[in-house]
Amino acid sequence: MLLNLRDDSLIALSPSYKTFLFDNDFQSLFPEIFLSTAAILLLVYGVVFSTSKQKNYPLLLTNICWLSLLALVFTFLLLVNSPVENALLCYNTLIIDNFTSFIKGLILFSSFFCIFISLDYIKQESINAFECILLLLFSTSSMLFLVSSADFISLYLAIELQSLCFYVLAALKRNSEFSTEAGLKYFLLGAFSSGLLLFGCSLIYGFTGVTNFSELARIFTGGTQEILTTTTSLPACELGMVFLLVGFLFKITAVPFHMWSPDVYEGAPTPVTAFFLIVPKAALFGVFLRIFLESFYDFVLPWQKILLVSSICSMILGSVAALSQTRIKRLLAYSSIGHVGYLLAGFACGTIEGIQALLIYLFVYIFMNINMFAFILCGMRRETMQTVPRIKYITDLAYLAKTQPVLALTFTITMFSMAGIPPLAGFYSKAYLFFAAMSSNLYVLAVIGVLCSVCSCFYYIRLVKIMYFEGPKNWCSFSRIPVENALTLAITLFFIVFFMFYPTPLHLITHKIALTLCM
Amino acid sequence: MIEFVGIFVYFLIASALSLILVGVSFVFATKKSDPEKISAYECGFDPFDDARSRFDIQFYLVAILFIIFDLEVTFLFPWALTLNQVGFFGFWSMMVFLIILTIGFIYEWRKGALDWS
Repeated sequence: MLLNLRDDSLIALSPSYKTFLFDNDFQSLFPEIFLSTAAILLLVYGVVFSTSKQKNYPLLLTNICWLSLLALVFTFLLLVNSPVENALLCYNTLIIDNFTSFIKGLILFSSFFCIFISLDYIKQESINAFECILLLLFSTSSMLFLVSSADFISLYLAIELQSLCFYVLAALKRNSEFSTEAGLKYFLLGAFSSGLLLFGCSLIYGFTGVTNFSELARIFTGGTQEILTTTTSLPACELGMVFLLVGFLFKITAVPFHMWSPDVYEGAPTPVTAFFLIVPKAALFGVFLRIFLESFYDFVLPWQKILLVSSICSMILGSVAALSQTRIKRLLAYSSIGHVGYLLAGFACGTIEGIQALLIYLFVYIFMNINMFAFILCGMRRETMQTVPRIKYITDLAYLAKTQPVLALTFTITMFSMAGIPPLAGFYSKAYLFFAAMSSNLYVLAVIGVLCSVCSCFYYIRLVKIMYFEGPKNWCSFSRIPVENALTLAITLFFIVFFMFYPTPLHLITHKIALTLCM
Repeated sequence: MIEFVGIFVYFLIASALSLILVGVSFVFATKKSDPEKISAYECGFDPFDDARSRFDIQFYLVAILFIIFDLEVTFLFPWALTLNQVGFFGFWSMMVFLIILTIGFIYEWRKGALDWS
């Protein structure tokens, strides 16, 4: 009897959900499906041909780089021409709206440029493992899933797929001690933070019985909150929220949980560092904005406090600790911690202006960092050595203004922008952020932010000083800048310089997507 | 769950029995150890060098592959049991999973992870 009932209901159900999944969901998930499939096919292509004896074991890395760039472009096109704008997919585990499309576009854009600028590096340093590019592709596609996840399960799975790719990437250079150390450190702390995240999820699930973000929002607002309070499960949910928040702060390297990032960013190979520094920030901020503004908006007082503290600490540490750095990648790691502090300041406002400021800042941050790394990844010649080393210490930049004036000027402008000097994009984004903080009465935050920004000017401008006024210990000059890097430098520099003249489109888009999130 | 009680009792008896078997020889056997007797056995010679040696990475590879394919079986098990209920949709979902795993397998095959020569 029971069996019969079950069979009947399944038969009644099955055709509808099948057609639903194939007709609608797959269509709206085309970008993700395409990117994962492309990565898998490239994997097969790479492994079959690179081990083939007839073809004389070709090194396919450059080839696969270009193909994956093509795949990213196609994914971007698919994303732009997506048939649906708003949808809940795969049994409410994935969501598509304006916000996710914007962040996905940003992710694809930045990961495209991260691969694009490392083409020359890969050729010069002869990293012969084509898998590294495919891992970048896999992590990109997992980040696409991460941004559009609307459920704790899909969130956690996407985060793990992304982090697993990253652990492997950090330890890519097997013969370098720093790289293996970076991989190990990243793995341990990443696994630990994922554990915290998962514990937060399980607490919330245990006390509400729901893993879906929008359903959680419905539970935490209004009438049901009283039921939760009487059964004392609201504090437990709050605890779960704090665990989630800590896991999230770990992942984005905000200050009390930042200790792994300088070592990992320093040790990992430079293209991988560029990827770590630029791309996951957008994805993680995207999904956590969604969780905290949609599901946990009623816990705004506790999370705002935590975010405020973390933001202030990150800004202070980012500006102070970078002062004593001599290695440029480490310096950039600390500077990115500072930038995360500014981003969190926008998050802590919890208002539409705050989110808009955060998104603008994120956009500008990505552009500035792509520019930085396009510069760092260029090959350099030292007088004393035959090899082609990269910029490692900040003193390597000495006298660059004489040997490569245009490049030095580009670098100077980017540095000024990072420091927040007026006519540049970095200034605009910071100013907008502080306005948002002021308008939501976070005066202390705004004042500390401005002070830290002034402090951080010191080390950004010190680099410029080294380039223009310091004599070199041993002569270094850049070899010919590869076309890809030159193009990237030009595009991003154009954006940085001329953003202030026409910021309207970005403003409108970010306002629109901030509205999507807050509705 | 009640059927596990039998297995639990069986497990207790089995461990008791094995402890007895070890214990009997421990109690009744003669123990006279001398340096020759407790030294490491290397075909009658004295040990040539330190016991610590390089470990072949192949063992790790095999262990990792085992873990992966063991997990695959864990996923296959509920699928195999409910195949009459999940229909073609369930069937093809699992096929996608298997295809992805197979591609992983092709990868490791071509890379020579299964080569023991």
